[in-house]
Amino acid sequence: MRVYLLRRLLHIVPTVLMITLVVFVMMRSVPGDPVVALLGDAYTEEDAVKVREVYGLDKPVLVQYVIWLGKLVRGDWGASILSGRPVLQDVLVRLPVTLELILLSMAIALAIAIPAALIGALRQNTWADYTATSVAMIGVSIPEFFIGVLLLLVFSFGLNGFLPSSGWVYLPGTCPMMVCGVSLWGNVQHVLMPAIALGVGRAAILTRLLRSSMLEVIRSEYVTTARAKGLSERPVVLKHALKNALIPTVTVMGLQVGFLIGGAIVVETLFAMPGLGTFGIDAIIARDYQQVQGFALITAFAFVVINLLVDLTYTFLDPRIRYA
Amino acid sequence: MRLPARSSALATLLTFAWVLVAPADAQAPKRGGTLRVSYGNEIAHLDFHTAPGYEMMWVAMNIGCGLVNITPDGRFVGDAAESWQVAPDGLLYTFKLKKSVLFHDGTAVDAASVKFSIDRLMDPNTKSGMRSFYESIHSVEVLDPLTVQIRLKHPYAFMLHMLAAYRTGLVLYSPTATQKFSLEDRKQGKPGAVVGCGPFKLVEWVKGSHLVMDRFDKYFVAGQPYLDRVMIRVIKDPVAEMAAFKAGEIDFIASFSPEHVDNLKVQAPKAQIMTGKETTPMLAAMKVTVPADGKPMSKERKPHPIFGDLKVRKAVGCYGIDRKEIVKIAFKGQATPWVGMNPPGTLDTVDVNHLCPYDPAKAKAMLAEAGYGPSKPLTFDIIADNEKSVFNVIATVIKEQMARLGATANIRVVDKVSWMNTTLQDGPWDMYVEDLLSLITLDSNGYLSNSSSTWSHPRHNDKRTDELYARYARELDPAKRKAIAKEIQEFFVENMYWNNISGSPFYMVAQPWMKGYTYNAEFEVHYHTVWLDK
Amino acid sequence: MTKPIRGGSLQEAELPRPASVAWTAPAVRSESPFAEGLRRLRRSHTAVVGAAIVAVLLVVAIFADVLAPYSPSTNDQTTTFARPSWDHPLGTDQMGRDMLSRVIHGTRISLLIGVSSVLLALFLGVPIGMIAGYYGGRIDGLLMRVMDLILAFPIYLLAIILMVIFTPTAGLIGTMKVTGAIAIVRIPIYARLVRGSVLSIKEKEFVEACRALGVRDPWILLRHVLPNCLAPIIVTTTLGIATSIIVEATLSFLGLGTQPPTPSWGWDLKANVAFIQANLWLSLFPGLAIFVTVLGFNLFGDGLRDALDPRLK
Repeated sequence: MRVYLLRRLLHIVPTVLMITLVVFVMMRSVPGDPVVALLGDAYTEEDAVKVREVYGLDKPVLVQYVIWLGKLVRGDWGASILSGRPVLQDVLVRLPVTLELILLSMAIALAIAIPAALIGALRQNTWADYTATSVAMIGVSIPEFFIGVLLLLVFSFGLNGFLPSSGWVYLPGTCPMMVCGVSLWGNVQHVLMPAIALGVGRAAILTRLLRSSMLEVIRSEYVTTARAKGLSERPVVLKHALKNALIPTVTVMGLQVGFLIGGAIVVETLFAMPGLGTFGIDAIIARDYQQVQGFALITAFAFVVINLLVDLTYTFLDPRIRYA
Repeated sequence: MRLPARSSALATLLTFAWVLVAPADAQAPKRGGTLRVSYGNEIAHLDFHTAPGYEMMWVAMNIGCGLVNITPDGRFVGDAAESWQVAPDGLLYTFKLKKSVLFHDGTAVDAASVKFSIDRLMDPNTKSGMRSFYESIHSVEVLDPLTVQIRLKHPYAFMLHMLAAYRTGLVLYSPTATQKFSLEDRKQGKPGAVVGCGPFKLVEWVKGSHLVMDRFDKYFVAGQPYLDRVMIRVIKDPVAEMAAFKAGEIDFIASFSPEHVDNLKVQAPKAQIMTGKETTPMLAAMKVTVPADGKPMSKERKPHPIFGDLKVRKAVGCYGIDRKEIVKIAFKGQATPWVGMNPPGTLDTVDVNHLCPYDPAKAKAMLAEAGYGPSKPLTFDIIADNEKSVFNVIATVIKEQMARLGATANIRVVDKVSWMNTTLQDGPWDMYVEDLLSLITLDSNGYLSNSSSTWSHPRHNDKRTDELYARYARELDPAKRKAIAKEIQEFFVENMYWNNISGSPFYMVAQPWMKGYTYNAEFEVHYHTVWLDK
Repeated sequence: MTKPIRGGSLQEAELPRPASVAWTAPAVRSESPFAEGLRRLRRSHTAVVGAAIVAVLLVVAIFADVLAPYSPSTNDQTTTFARPSWDHPLGTDQMGRDMLSRVIHGTRISLLIGVSSVLLALFLGVPIGMIAGYYGGRIDGLLMRVMDLILAFPIYLLAIILMVIFTPTAGLIGTMKVTGAIAIVRIPIYARLVRGSVLSIKEKEFVEACRALGVRDPWILLRHVLPNCLAPIIVTTTLGIATSIIVEATLSFLGLGTQPPTPSWGWDLKANVAFIQANLWLSLFPGLAIFVTVLGFNLFGDGLRDALDPRLK
């Protein structure tokens, strides 16, 4: 077990590096570079050549990557060519926003999915089940941005602007800057719609999965045995079925992280939130190489680490699964 | 009850005094408060001498100070300069600085720092976008700590305009701070690195979040600025901007999308909407030459396969485009159809619309002469960048109008960075729709239009434009200048080097409680006279 | 021991099963599996509804030119932002283009991209999976490494960067670029799916027997291995179309999908959010179109899954 764990931990590094290398190379394949935007009105060919030299953009791609790596190892994530801002600093400023969004979305998703799945599994093929399944089916089929637009329509443009349509207010204690808007209610106002938009889609998928895996467990040997032992229905289901159904749920939640990150990009763009999603997409479009690297690094890292955690949890939850 | 005589007189006096004083009281600026501003685009970075973009400029005008400023009616007022004299031959400008003007780091703004700043701007190593404006300067001399003299190589009629308002105008840099901190420090807004002599000092800049500037207590105008703080947020989506404005979350929108102005008037009827005659040209530029050897920016040119032919340019740009229709659809009529390169609100502008009336029959005939017709239809690409959705709208209308001539225009929408890369690096393009930069004088357009500038996208390489601009800039007699301006406008139209459609309207929106702001288009955005009436 | 197969359909991964229940090919029955599957399909409500929706969409997509009252890219400057009326049942947008026509033609584009991206991913992913699973060893290692790399990316990150590299354009080329970007991201799913199936069949005796008889590998792959993967491939494909359509809509929403004047639901939605207060339907209907389309494919895919392997219910 420990060997497996060690092996997986070591495996994180090359995976993350591979992803950042691919992103590095891909960004250099994008037509255009940041130097034109940097020089702006002052653009002349000679100046452009000089600037490219200064920032090392004229070296071969792999050499540039190794240089980036070298700085990274020393804790230096580089600085944006366009704005001069250190990438790590910007990433840390944006992180609380995205983190809060993702965590709250998952919480909302689970809060909807678990009861819905329970209803579906326990009262299979009844009205309640059909409703829950249909709603889940609908939720799976709506893109996040459309949910977001509908929410905006009702709560921001309608209802006299009950909820703000953009911006961010930080939770007390999480402000990473000198000047912040900080307030609990303000934060809730700003995070609610995006989190719902992102969470509803996940909830739908989770409901369907949780329900079917619960059904499967109910039919399987566990429950028959437990029933045979004479335990009553309710605790049997709740204790055994739910616990066992959590295994695939946890797995799927881990898989969902990829879509959460992607969904966060879209939702953050729609609600103009100062998070990592807008950071990444703005950086990609502006060809801000260093910032894109920072974005790729943190998303890849989060993605890989979460997958590892999911696998480990999976191992703990299901005693029959052991990895050699 | 009758008051004793003396007290009744006093009472009357007091009443009078109240009547006299009260309205003035209501107008006296209140000190304090935070002005919350919204920008539609990100600030590039905070090295004022090299950063591109209006958003940076409007910050630079408040954190930094210069020698002079310009009022909306074209008069010059002193900023750090108390007074100035121009020698009769126009070659010597002597500025006397105000005493006790300080940089935010406490060092004095003196003649040496003025020299330092101008030298820095002129230095090729600084790579400032404003370097070309200082081309006429021979040298800067320090006469005494408060007197600085600028010597020109040749007369330059727009020296003061340039120092006041070409892009940021001259922004004075503190020699101490500039030497202590690196370029990257300034770019990122590191505390202490961005130092100016303006009414506000930089507190914090977090790209993607906000920029905060606080009152500089030792500002050289006593009592100003009234505001404690200015906080700038970037809200890219106009609808979100409107929603935030309506909810009272922001006080001032620095540049509001013209398409949504009508909507805003409905949403926020009490808003102060400021605009004026357009000072930015809206172009449908056509590429005139391409590199002869295929290498971008090559000195060897050959005519563009389609628009290298003057007849085609005139057919499409002059007679084939219905400017009125474009203005009606894209701007709902709230812009001026305009053929001249110099926008309606710019100094010395001349109306040359009569040179290019909409005449599709003539356009078709000219195209036929150039060899295009049903057997060989004219086909070209229009690129529009997505910075403003109006570019795509205009491109679509042009496409329609081209269809009436039997020509096909294909529209490509690209992001701004791609557009810049393509046009600045002599990439392949036929026509683009964009509104470039605002022009306070025709002279400030020189760097766009003259033959060698990288920003002269059509690459017409016609040296005659350089001569015209030079003559214009050196002519000190305003009447003669106006004549040259007319010549320039007509020259461009005759050769269709720059195909202008209309002016590009500019709007600023303020809450009713924001008072004291002086609207001067994109050129001067100053918060030191602003106060909040709440 | 079966490790949970990552991927599968975007919406739902193949569930990890308790080790005792291995997935095997259906045993020989009295009727062909195909006929039985079809019967089950017809009984399933979800499949029928889904199939109906998909059929309607296909008709709309194919006959878009006939059904749409106007061309989706004609501007009529005099009727911008028209309210829904007999002339323009869904109103007109900022440039006077009829929304109904845009939505109808958008069906064609969305379906085109959805189906072709999945087919492309299939076309490339299935052979990769088969070769990797069948030959094993170094080839398997190498191929799966590449697949893992693609899977390691959050889907949108990869799709966004690919589209920025390709540079979004309008027209057929633009559509092809979006198709390609989405297909690349989806290949590993099919590769892994097929590989898993191949692995479970590879060891069977009849395959050994075939080899002993001298039957060539490709033939074995085609004749024996492929049919057994068919069911999950079909299900995954159908659900994959739904996902592709959402991804395409999202890319267009971000401005990185098909460009105007090519009608695209995602783009129309985004472009008209700005006018949502006065002209609600301009954003609403493209959004509803996306929803209905994706729902149709999801229902159909679900029904297929139920029909082809009831144990998955």
